[in-house]
Amino acid sequence: MAHFQLKSLRDLFVVVAHPPDPDSQLVMQQLERIGCRTEAAWPVPRDLPQATDVLVAAIGHDHHKVLKSTLRRAGARRPDVIALADYENPAMLELMLDLDALAVISKPVRPFGILTNVVVARNVSLTSKALVSRVRRLELRMEGQKKIAKAKAILMETQAISEEDAYKIIRAQAMTKRISIEEMADAVIYAHDLLSGRTNAP
Amino acid sequence: MATISESEPISIGVLFSETGITSVVEQTQRDAVSLAVSEINARRGAGNFELQPIFLDPASDPKRYEAEAENLISQGVRIIFGCYMSSARRAVLPVVERAGALLFYPTLYEGFEFSANCVYSGAAPNQNSLMLADYMSENFGKRHYFVGSNYVFPYESNRIMRDLLVARGCTVLEERYIPLNPKDDDIDQIIDEINKLEPDVIFSTVVGEGAIKLYQRYAQKGRTREKSPIMSLTTGEPEIAEMGVDAAEGHYTCAPYFSSLPRAVNQSFVTAYRSAFGAHAPISACTEAAYFQVHLFAEALKLGGPDAILQNLPLVEFDAPQGKVRVDRTTQHTFLTPRIGRVNPSGAFDIVYDHRTAVRPDPYKVEPEASGWSRFVGGA
Repeated sequence: MAHFQLKSLRDLFVVVAHPPDPDSQLVMQQLERIGCRTEAAWPVPRDLPQATDVLVAAIGHDHHKVLKSTLRRAGARRPDVIALADYENPAMLELMLDLDALAVISKPVRPFGILTNVVVARNVSLTSKALVSRVRRLELRMEGQKKIAKAKAILMETQAISEEDAYKIIRAQAMTKRISIEEMADAVIYAHDLLSGRTNAP
Repeated sequence: MATISESEPISIGVLFSETGITSVVEQTQRDAVSLAVSEINARRGAGNFELQPIFLDPASDPKRYEAEAENLISQGVRIIFGCYMSSARRAVLPVVERAGALLFYPTLYEGFEFSANCVYSGAAPNQNSLMLADYMSENFGKRHYFVGSNYVFPYESNRIMRDLLVARGCTVLEERYIPLNPKDDDIDQIIDEINKLEPDVIFSTVVGEGAIKLYQRYAQKGRTREKSPIMSLTTGEPEIAEMGVDAAEGHYTCAPYFSSLPRAVNQSFVTAYRSAFGAHAPISACTEAAYFQVHLFAEALKLGGPDAILQNLPLVEFDAPQGKVRVDRTTQHTFLTPRIGRVNPSGAFDIVYDHRTAVRPDPYKVEPEASGWSRFVGGA
């Protein structure tokens, strides 16, 4: 599993979306000590600065909707969110969960722990992104297996051959046509549907 | 406490161990504070003030450090000079933070820390490890052996040094840890392994009594210093005095200060220190840092009293024995001039490398930039 490389810490661009006050100032100062590039953004901007890696965000009802839509607009470039929180009552916790915060810095802010929170948030995000792409790959492979099984069944039935021979035919065809076995299986299914007069081809 | 009254002396706490495993160095730090205080008090006159030090002995035990810090705070002390090991600093800082007091910490450490209630005047890794890695890799072979005492400073120092050396094409053969208070057997196992592996350099982060034993046993049973010298960030003049020249000669230390520095300011410091504490009293970088940080404090005090120390500290510069020093406002660490010394037959350090300019402290530097030859070949 991919782990966050501490060496890339200083490449991070951290935006702090919090009203300017001593707490947010302490966060900014500590991030500067750590050596991250930082920028303050308040009120919450419609669009985040380009290449924002981490967003340290104030938690509150007043600006929650704006924050949500800003994050939604970031799409695939959504930054990792660290909550900067005053309270831990359920109402506030719901807002943090709603933002998918990966770590929390609590007020009053102390310099100790900010580095750890950034590192943990970054690592959780990296790990979960790796997991999502792994799940996606597995889903695709499962879909492919299903198709191959179906194509084999068609060939076995129409050609009266063994499962092994059916697979060999699909593989040989795929190699000749320089396409994947899954794509070849798709072609078999498609052709079969066409020849048997079905119209609901995939 | 808005104005400085001449009739009311300013109490300062001094927490250095007079007993226990790191007392060899800490006693010199206590003496250095004492010297600086007497110099400052001697200058007392128009607009000046008197410092009243309270010396306590935490006996190299973090729990005692915490208790004595509480003790000082309960006596109304708001400024403390002290601590050698990181474990002691970590024990004192929460007490100091709760009280809104200030700790001046005069010892090199592993970095990655900032407390608003602490001023750090020893070297951060970018002010010693970086230069030592260049020196080791450029002047010696590529096979290195690490040995350290079993606590936080050696672990982090070794992580940093490993990164630096690997980036310079070196190999770390082994990384070993021995107890803070090692038995002869612990040391002998290390020396046997060194003899077997034949490394080009031994990077040692063994501190205190352990370092003294290590160098002594290495002289008796180990390889020659020409073949495998020991390089350290912590072995200074007090440890050398304790272990003896025979054990120390030919080994290297990287530090911002050596008592052999030829600067006039240093010579008068050494003279004053030795006339107070003995003609052969050893003085190390930790001693010097303990000395100059009291002076930096006093200079800042002149500008605006005890409540504005932190605001004023970065504004003052002090001509310390090592050269000009000042505190960086962002990190509250100190600009220092790195040097590397090799112990000569009289037990003093010959300076084999001098950075010549003060280096800005960068305590959160994870991956120190390529330097030395790797800069020219675009490596690392």
